[in-house]
Amino acid sequence: MSSAGNQVKSVPIPTRVLTLKDWSQLPDCYSQTPGGTLFSTTPGGTRIIYDRKFLLDCRNSPIARTPPCCLPQIPGVTVPATHPLGKLQELKEEDEEEKDIADDSQFEMDI
Amino acid sequence: MNNKFDALKDDDSGDHEQDQGPPKDCEKEKTEEEDKEQSSRKKMVVPGAGEHPLQYNYTFWYSRRTPGRPASTQSYEQNIKQIGSFASVEQFWRFYSHMIRPGDLTGHSDFHLFKEGIKPMWEDDANKMGGKWIIRLRKGLASRCWENLILAMLGEQFMVGEEICGAVVSVRFQEDIISIWNKTASDQATTARIRDTLRRVLNLPPNTIMEYKTHTDSINCLGGRQEDL
Repeated sequence: MSSAGNQVKSVPIPTRVLTLKDWSQLPDCYSQTPGGTLFSTTPGGTRIIYDRKFLLDCRNSPIARTPPCCLPQIPGVTVPATHPLGKLQELKEEDEEEKDIADDSQFEMDI
Repeated sequence: MNNKFDALKDDDSGDHEQDQGPPKDCEKEKTEEEDKEQSSRKKMVVPGAGEHPLQYNYTFWYSRRTPGRPASTQSYEQNIKQIGSFASVEQFWRFYSHMIRPGDLTGHSDFHLFKEGIKPMWEDDANKMGGKWIIRLRKGLASRCWENLILAMLGEQFMVGEEICGAVVSVRFQEDIISIWNKTASDQATTARIRDTLRRVLNLPPNTIMEYKTHTDSINCLGGRQEDL
């Protein structure tokens, strides 16, 4: 747009076009404000938003690791189902394979 | 010492015993959260000092059914147990880290994570006019997908106002099913947004089918609940 007779040279906004064949190719940070969401509108007003990375980081804090006081003892769900040591060993091995986080202490429960 | 056992008494999830549990770690910390929990009879869950609050409080539930048992509203309600409620990120991890991952559940079992006050049943007021996106997964994917799903829900990634009710992971014989429930099945803008968020946060295998079902459809067509699938 020109005003007062001045000619302003206009340049298109630089863009880059990517063709994706699949949703999985979408980069993780696409269209996100850091710590925010994919969306630009917030129905219902300001909300407490946490992204996945932040939530996972909280897992390692000391407050997050102690067992909850009122956890019901449900075999196979909150406590090992069979022999405590046998099951614990299986679970430990599975966990270590899949994750780097040391979750060992969670299964060492006093019974 | 006595206060802790009183709190256990009020808990109606059953199956737990008063002189068990890991008292050492619990007793070491005297957090605000524990004091508040014990002082109010209704056991209001609040974030503890230094914890990160969530937009809503949530409750974990667990259900398991012996196949072949007749399914009725009454038996469903009896089969489902509360595991606990939480109000902060740290409290969430305290529960989640002490629960088996869905991939390790046996039999016909479900975990439900619903906003506090909403029962994971279609009869609940919040669910009556609602529906759910369901995603069927081959074995091996449930643990990861469930975790990504609930982290997105707790982190308010769906951005649909008050519409989200909760999420369910169902372990079945040859497949697993995850679903997310919302209040208004007819609100297409909401259901579309939920679908888009699911695609984005779950990293599903290509060709995974997502299906939207109203709860009334589920009752009429299948003659039962998701737990009967």
